[in-house]
Amino acid sequence: MIDWSERKAYWRNTKVQMLASLLPFLLALILLPLYADALNDKRILGIPLGYFLACHGLIVIAFVTIAMFVNRQDAIDHWHGAHEDI
Amino acid sequence: MAVTARTRLVNPRLGTYFGIFAAVFVALVLMALMFEQLGTPDFTIRLLMFAGPIALYGAIGVFCAAKETGDYFVCGRRVPAFFNGLNLAISALGGAGFLALTGVFFSIGFDALCLALGVCAGFVFMGVLLAPFLRKFGAYTIPSYLGRRFESRTLRVVAAASLAVPLLLLLAAEARFAAYAASGLTGQPEFLTAPLVLACVTATIIVGGMRSLTWSSAAKAIAALLALAVCATIVALMMSNLPLPQMTHGNVLRMLNRTEGSRGVPTFIAAYLAFDFPTEGLEPLAKRFLQAFGSVGTFAFVLMTLIAGAGIASSPSLLARIGSTPGVYEARKSLGWAVLIAGIVLLTLPAVAVFLRSLLLDQVIGQPTDRLPDWFIALQDAGIASVAGNAPTVGFSAVRFDRDATLFALPVAAGFPQVLVYLALAGALAAALAALAAALSATAAILSEDVVYGMHPEAAPEGARIGAARAGLLSTAFVAAWLAIASPADPLRLFLWSLNFSAAAIFPVLVLSIWWKRINAWGAMAGILTGLLVTAFAMLMGESGAWALPGVLAATVGLPAGLAVTMTASLMTPVPGPSVLLRVHEMRIPGGETLYDRELRLQRLKTRPTP
Repeated sequence: MIDWSERKAYWRNTKVQMLASLLPFLLALILLPLYADALNDKRILGIPLGYFLACHGLIVIAFVTIAMFVNRQDAIDHWHGAHEDI
Repeated sequence: MAVTARTRLVNPRLGTYFGIFAAVFVALVLMALMFEQLGTPDFTIRLLMFAGPIALYGAIGVFCAAKETGDYFVCGRRVPAFFNGLNLAISALGGAGFLALTGVFFSIGFDALCLALGVCAGFVFMGVLLAPFLRKFGAYTIPSYLGRRFESRTLRVVAAASLAVPLLLLLAAEARFAAYAASGLTGQPEFLTAPLVLACVTATIIVGGMRSLTWSSAAKAIAALLALAVCATIVALMMSNLPLPQMTHGNVLRMLNRTEGSRGVPTFIAAYLAFDFPTEGLEPLAKRFLQAFGSVGTFAFVLMTLIAGAGIASSPSLLARIGSTPGVYEARKSLGWAVLIAGIVLLTLPAVAVFLRSLLLDQVIGQPTDRLPDWFIALQDAGIASVAGNAPTVGFSAVRFDRDATLFALPVAAGFPQVLVYLALAGALAAALAALAAALSATAAILSEDVVYGMHPEAAPEGARIGAARAGLLSTAFVAAWLAIASPADPLRLFLWSLNFSAAAIFPVLVLSIWWKRINAWGAMAGILTGLLVTAFAMLMGESGAWALPGVLAATVGLPAGLAVTMTASLMTPVPGPSVLLRVHEMRIPGGETLYDRELRLQRLKTRPTP
């Protein structure tokens, strides 16, 4: 069980982790599709690059974001002793 | 203290059970294929493909009966992360994803990505901002979470009434999609299949509530994924020699782009706020597949992505699932699985659209009208496609296509046996049924828990709660059947409206209730009502054409308004009391007992009969 004094530090780390996960993701989510047309002249694996980045790229970015979040947040929980008791 | 080891709660044979289900489903399809070759009448095969899977889902639902509230509302909190993610992905996509989104990709190509990306982003928002904390709180519905979090029973009832708006819209949309797929499968009109599918769904989930819903929807998800994979993979093999439609549609897409250029397919530049999705019924194809922002403007694209993200993240029918994971860590992990599964589906749908478009451009457009390929004539006879005008050759703008039929038009166009067309339909039906069941069960839970027992200070006895939830489910099913028959609007539009309402009314309050300690009950109530009303007003103005902002982007105004009013009203009213603050502090820490379960346990101890 977490110490009362650890709560502030735990929540500060959690907040930073939330921002570190969401802000880059939001940036990519908003900006990438806007440049799709300009990138479509180039190709990767035979797929036009703009479409590839907006479709495949963003889905992979979403998955990597959430996977890293789960991993990091679990580490933060254990570091501060806030994890669930098993 | 969690008394039992969390990992021991999970049934270790789940994989085996669903392996058996997948095998039975495949056997059913193979049997239908053999029957077709043996010359069995078409009607029998249709019936087999419609009733067979539904009987399987129904059997799973009925065998998972529930006698306790914990089982009935949160599946006993023992759904492992993978199955929860599977359920989340399939309920979020549903018929709107499988039927309509494929058609939107087919018609406007790149611009449909705003909705697909919105779904993925929604799971990321949900996983990072909401899910772990809501799981730690562990309430059965979103209004009861808000009611207990802010210690305000009025807020609980107000939230329940406000959430009825997005839930009823979602119910109407998914019931329409399910009825559409069922009518394609059985050949009966939609006003007959709508009550039929609702009766099937209700019978499946009424015995076991969330427990039946979880396991029958997992089976539906497996059926839907199998159906999608079979069709897309075979076509990918035929067109590019590699069984990976998600990656190989790129080469087809490049050739498609070249063909579209040589056939003179138009390109457009949409206004910044234009939002021109194809509607229901026969619609012409809009623009080149690859060109960006021809039907949906740049601003509208970004706004739709964010609104769909916020709407999926705070969708009450999805958030009800979060409580069913064994712990906070699994709740986070399940969102990872949801992104992965939804992502794979969302990469397959554009592949289906690209394949069908390339077949259409190669074999139909530019051909003389009297020498069309057989599959196109078959689609014309089925009322799925048509050629307008009487020019001697088929022009691009003359072809009309039924938006929702794209998914099962592909096996027809590729010349597959009829059973594979029915398989695609059965898959879409399974997805729509899963989303419909999730929305039904969430609405029924809110109706019984927060409207019937909402003003009671203590939770009612177990039997009464389950009985009320079952009665609520029956009445919701009747309302949904009526909505499905009576609602005149395009189901995709209903789905988008529902996303707008859940994004504007509940997303800001849910996020602030976790991340901002100063928020109080007044702020939450004012925020929910403002978000709802402002969105409704903006939607009316947009739909009537008075505002430049389209009605399906109404949350652009509603969400910031709700956020601002929540914060202002909270700051103007007293600081929340110490017991509320203590609860917030506890909710933010994953360790320790689930708050809602602890409150119920303490209440049971208090009301224990003295010996």
